[in-house]
Amino acid sequence: MTVIDILFRVDEICKKYDKYDPEKQREANAFLDDAFPRLYSLVEADIEKALAKSDKVSTEKNRAAAVALSAEIRRIKARLMEEVPKLQKLAKKKVKGLSKEDHETRFDIVLALPDRIKAIPDGSTAAASQSGGWGTSSSNKKIKFDSSEERLGSDFYQQTEESDQFRQEYEMRKMKQDEGLDVISEGLDTLKNIALDMNEEIDRQVPLMDEIETKVDKTTSDIRKNNVRLKKTITQIRSSRNFCIDIILLCIILGIAFYLYK
Amino acid sequence: MSSSDPNKLISKADKLTKLSLTRWSADWKSATLLYEQAANGFRVSKDYEKAKLAFEKASKGQEMLASPWDAAKHMESAAALAKELRNWTEVIDFYRRASELYMQCDRPQPASDSLAKAARALEDALPDDAVQLYTDACVILEDDGKEQMAFDLYRAAASIYVKLEKFTDAATFLLRLGLAADKCNARNSQCKAYLSAIIVYLYAHDLKQAEKCYNDCSQIDAFLRSDQNRCASKLLSAYTEGDVEEIKRVAQSSTISNLDNVIIKLARKLPTGDVAELKEEAAKGEEEALDENDLT
Repeated sequence: MTVIDILFRVDEICKKYDKYDPEKQREANAFLDDAFPRLYSLVEADIEKALAKSDKVSTEKNRAAAVALSAEIRRIKARLMEEVPKLQKLAKKKVKGLSKEDHETRFDIVLALPDRIKAIPDGSTAAASQSGGWGTSSSNKKIKFDSSEERLGSDFYQQTEESDQFRQEYEMRKMKQDEGLDVISEGLDTLKNIALDMNEEIDRQVPLMDEIETKVDKTTSDIRKNNVRLKKTITQIRSSRNFCIDIILLCIILGIAFYLYK
Repeated sequence: MSSSDPNKLISKADKLTKLSLTRWSADWKSATLLYEQAANGFRVSKDYEKAKLAFEKASKGQEMLASPWDAAKHMESAAALAKELRNWTEVIDFYRRASELYMQCDRPQPASDSLAKAARALEDALPDDAVQLYTDACVILEDDGKEQMAFDLYRAAASIYVKLEKFTDAATFLLRLGLAADKCNARNSQCKAYLSAIIVYLYAHDLKQAEKCYNDCSQIDAFLRSDQNRCASKLLSAYTEGDVEEIKRVAQSSTISNLDNVIIKLARKLPTGDVAELKEEAAKGEEEALDENDLT
């Protein structure tokens, strides 16, 4: 059996026998009576989640994912800020079975909550420097997106290390691209020049080709005329009458030769 | 027949052409034939002097036979042999005669071709005559309306002038090239010619002329819209500012590298002389104008 299997089985067994866990029972019972701890624990859990997400953001390479996570963190923070006044009211309420000191501590931790919430980094410090003015108008808690002045101090440096590198990389890539584009532009210049020269050369050849065409046309017509005349002359020479006369004379000569030989 | 001694052929042909008691009219036909054979024989045996003579006589024979084309061809061969012998005056004479004969045949192109060949042969020895020959060749082509063929000749003539360090003449020739290009609508050659002219003026350290030239050329629409125009304006502004680095950078640019080799060499040697003193001159000129205003 592997370790993972063991872990799963243990988890299932614990879940099954949760109802026998005395500590958990006490918590559940406690929450039945007192809304404050319940709400407070929920807020705490949310803060933990937000902190975990902000850690993820700082290690996230993909810019889009980082931006999405930051937006989520901001939403969580806004919600938590809404919960804080509710908690404050609950803290003020008198609860039986709770000592005065506990009461005070509750009040204090509720007061500390807004600061804790605000301290969650949500990657909005770059925008905070531009919108520093907004940070001062803290009357409307619900709409506050950007960080206050103190956030500029601590988170600012953390971000610029990354953004510095990013900026350097960007500058280097831009330089390389510029160099490449320069090379391309020179090549294109040469090509353009060659193409224009070719254009002119071809323009130069055009009248020459026209001359060649006329001359060749004249020559072909001359040759045709000559051919016709030649044909006429040859047919005249080789006319059938002459041919028959040739054959007859040839036969007579052969006859004479035969006679002489005989 | 052709394998027999060319000398004998020549003497035979001479006999045929010489008028005497027994001969009332010269037999040019057979004589010319014999002359041609003799000339070929001499050429093969590398006896250039005699071959040249034979070609001359053959050409005369063809003239007598009223075929100027063949006569011109023989003259050209004679001239080529004279070139081998480095007899420059004869080269000029023969090529000129050949071109005249070509013109008789009503063929201006071979005429200008023969003059161009003559000029090329004389480039090193007698550059002034060479330029004259190039000019004549260009005139023949222009009369015929075939300016496009003249581009190369103009360029060659301009490069000879540059070699002779006669920069104003070179620039004039380049402007004539621009004019010819304009007539044929060859915009690229035209703009290159104008840019070359401006560079030649700058090399001669004549900023005013260069600027005047630039202003003249800017009147022409085609030049105004071209790359060469931008390059020229950059160069001139670099000169007026006295910025040597800028001048060098413009001279390395690809627009200038597309020009003729001779011009590229000139451009790379820019700036000649002191650019700062040019700036001072220009500034002084402005100051003097102000003084005049003060006096009045």
